[in-house]
Amino acid sequence: MKPIVELEEVRKVYRSGSSRREIEVRALDGVSLRIEDGEFVSIMGPSGSGKSTLLHVLGLLDRPTSGRYLLAGEDVTGLDDEAAARVRNRRIGFVFQAFFLMPRYSALKNVELPLVYRGLPEGERRLRAERALEEVGLAERMDHLPSELSGGQKQRVAIARALVQEPALLLADEPTGNLDTESGREILALFDRLHAEGKTLVVVTHEREIADRSRRILHVRDGRLVDDEVLG
Amino acid sequence: MRFSDNFKIALEALFAHPTRTLLSLLGVIIGVFAVTALISLGEMATYGIQHSLEQVAGRSVYIQPQFKPGVESVRFDADLVKVLRVLPVRPVPYVFSSATAEDRHGQLVSLDLVGTVGDLPALDASVALARGRFFGPREARQGLPVAVINAKAESALFGNGRGLGRELVLNTSGGSRLRVLVVGVVQPAGGFFGGFEGSRVTVPYKLLWGRIPWKKGRFDMIELKVEPGVDLKEVEKRAQRLLELRYGKDRISVQSVQAFQQALSGITLGLQALLGGIGALSLLVGGIGIMNIMLVSVTERTREIGLRKALGATSAQIRTQFMIEAVMLTVAGGLIGVVLAAAVLYAAVLAVPFFEAFILSPTTVALALGVSAAVGLFFGVWPASQAAGLDPIEALRYE
Repeated sequence: MKPIVELEEVRKVYRSGSSRREIEVRALDGVSLRIEDGEFVSIMGPSGSGKSTLLHVLGLLDRPTSGRYLLAGEDVTGLDDEAAARVRNRRIGFVFQAFFLMPRYSALKNVELPLVYRGLPEGERRLRAERALEEVGLAERMDHLPSELSGGQKQRVAIARALVQEPALLLADEPTGNLDTESGREILALFDRLHAEGKTLVVVTHEREIADRSRRILHVRDGRLVDDEVLG
Repeated sequence: MRFSDNFKIALEALFAHPTRTLLSLLGVIIGVFAVTALISLGEMATYGIQHSLEQVAGRSVYIQPQFKPGVESVRFDADLVKVLRVLPVRPVPYVFSSATAEDRHGQLVSLDLVGTVGDLPALDASVALARGRFFGPREARQGLPVAVINAKAESALFGNGRGLGRELVLNTSGGSRLRVLVVGVVQPAGGFFGGFEGSRVTVPYKLLWGRIPWKKGRFDMIELKVEPGVDLKEVEKRAQRLLELRYGKDRISVQSVQAFQQALSGITLGLQALLGGIGALSLLVGGIGIMNIMLVSVTERTREIGLRKALGATSAQIRTQFMIEAVMLTVAGGLIGVVLAAAVLYAAVLAVPFFEAFILSPTTVALALGVSAAVGLFFGVWPASQAAGLDPIEALRYE
């Protein structure tokens, strides 16, 4: 199997306070981690444990203070902003707790958005976005605005927006946190399917019930990986 | 990212808050309106004055004896008029005097009394008859007692439209009484200088020569009407040479309206720069308004910017997006301002006779739009940099 994510001794240190009494916060304190292609991994931990920072580092939204990060075999540790944006655009799909859809864009336009920054022509963007929306079961809702969609549907649009990028890594941050139980189940079922199709998924959650759907749970505490639990 | 997508995104953003967009445009609209309208008004006023000048004296060279205390002035006689015909000009000689006459209520009216040759309208396009006829060359040579008066003199002496065929008794400056028959009325001069016209009575030059002793045999001024296609400056030079040969140096003044026109251009150009400057100041204020609204917009759209970055927008792409938004705003404001200015200028032409023609030069329009685009570029830089510099994590967390 080929690794999608390889972290080696990754540290992330935030400094705050005055120069006299500087406070050092170690959000990540030496995390080493390997995620294989096609894995479905969840990251658990109490708030402040560093799990969000880990997700941001994995998503190239944040840069580690030290250590090394290989994404699909490519060293992405020292990329500048522009290069990191390009990698995010081509290799990483994000799903957020609050969906983050553009309120004035139709579902279709929302899904097209990452492809706009890839510079694809409109016709091709549309075709790919339609396919992604079909994949999440929203073929009938393409022209709807987010305000005309239910929470579960909104999150499915957001997932379609991630899928349209054909990312190497799909990162989800509390994807069911803003949803009722029923819609949450829908989304988890969709994740199951994506996993079955061979996509690599990393989900950050604090709910055991959700983490149990994955095949492997990484427990984070005080910026360290404290347990790597492989489920049957 | 495709460049056209930038425009779509900017348009979407601007149409998301139409009222706010329009209000923030107001400053630029007023600024561009002011610049365009003031510059064009300046051009229109200049044109009005220049055009009037040209109508009155555009293609003429004026020669007069130079006045020097203690030296007897040169005498312009009928012979000189013949000599001047060697130049490509039509010489029109004038005798200037003044007179008084009683109006219908017995009040004295002062008049400009002018003697000249016959058929003046054929020589001078700015002289147009309203009614009657102009005295002919033969009447002029024989000094018959006929007169052509202007509309102002007619209304002062007889009342509007009642002068033709009437007898007019003039008290000349020579002390004599002169009875003349009014055979024609000329239309008031148009344009800027029409307003300065006095009450004028024009008679055959020979008539004045006969009645005013010190005017006998002399003209006070000769106007050289320059033939079409002939260079005015060249005529001026040749007339100067010819007159110097005849009378000696510094005894004659030779003038055309060109020098005056040039001086006038300088003044109006200065005026335009001043007016344009005032307009530019309001455009500056408009630009600050745009910057303000763009900064608000960046703050409001912090999360949107964070999302776009997470999805792979580079900082440069975000910056371009906001720059284009700012420039589109100001250029749209510029367009509205220009259209508004055009409407007001057009109304001014219709309402004010002084403005003879509607002038909105392409240069002015290009300048107005160019400046508004520049305002957008300049005042968009800061907000766009703020947007481009946002940390996506912070931006996505922003409530």
